[in-house]
Amino acid sequence: MSVKKLTRLSLLTAIALIIFIIELRIPDIVPIPGVKLGLANIVTVYAMYSYSPKETLMILSVRILLGSVFSGNISAIMYSLSGALLCFCGMLVLKHITDKKYIWLCSIIGAVLHNTGQILTAILVMKTTAVFTYFPFLIVSGCIAGAFTGICTQVLISRINFTE
Amino acid sequence: MKKHKILIISCILIFILGIAGSIFMILKPHGQNVEIIQDGKILYTINLDNSGDRTIITEYQGNKNVIRIENHKIYMKEAECSDHTCIKMGVLETGASPIVCLPNKLMIQFTDAEVK
Repeated sequence: MSVKKLTRLSLLTAIALIIFIIELRIPDIVPIPGVKLGLANIVTVYAMYSYSPKETLMILSVRILLGSVFSGNISAIMYSLSGALLCFCGMLVLKHITDKKYIWLCSIIGAVLHNTGQILTAILVMKTTAVFTYFPFLIVSGCIAGAFTGICTQVLISRINFTE
Repeated sequence: MKKHKILIISCILIFILGIAGSIFMILKPHGQNVEIIQDGKILYTINLDNSGDRTIITEYQGNKNVIRIENHKIYMKEAECSDHTCIKMGVLETGASPIVCLPNKLMIQFTDAEVK
């Protein structure tokens, strides 16, 4: 890995972390755990389309690890990690069958997968299926948040054009 | 082009399913029996109609949660955790949204089970 690339990746991670921490300060609109905009995922989706899967995974894992340390909420790391991994796998597949005009579509499906991963972890951790009643709400919020981050990324990618 | 149409349609379907599910969950009837569950174990089953005002304190790995029942309504009063989502959720109203405290693995929800 060249120094140039390393710098770019760390810069992206830093941006994602800053967005993540600013977003923590925005009060929750709906008091359901897991419902949030996930603005930091703009960077994830951007990296997904501009860098290799390995590099995206690096940005993602460092962001989640440091993000949960900075927010003082380390117990939430399992939920973020499982959601992020499921979302990552889903988007990896979707990226190959769609072109760059339809990033927002992949983003929606990615966000729904993210919430699915979180619910599955919650069921495992809490040892009850009752949290499953949240699932419909999380799907709706995932669709909205995913569309938003997807459109943001789309605008971003058409403007920034790094040629390596 | 066809692939994208399928994707768009599936996204719309997921969204509609989500909304339908949410409406179903909100409208689902529930009784007045409430259970308090921690780490998969049922700690209390309480009938809100018969219960007077009371305070229940639970503990998980040294972190306390204070649950309060007032005027036949139940809510989380205090929690020793990092996010306090459970306090912000306020009074338990529908069967759809149990009060959940993820850090302390505590959950308050309506149940069909009988009070012992």
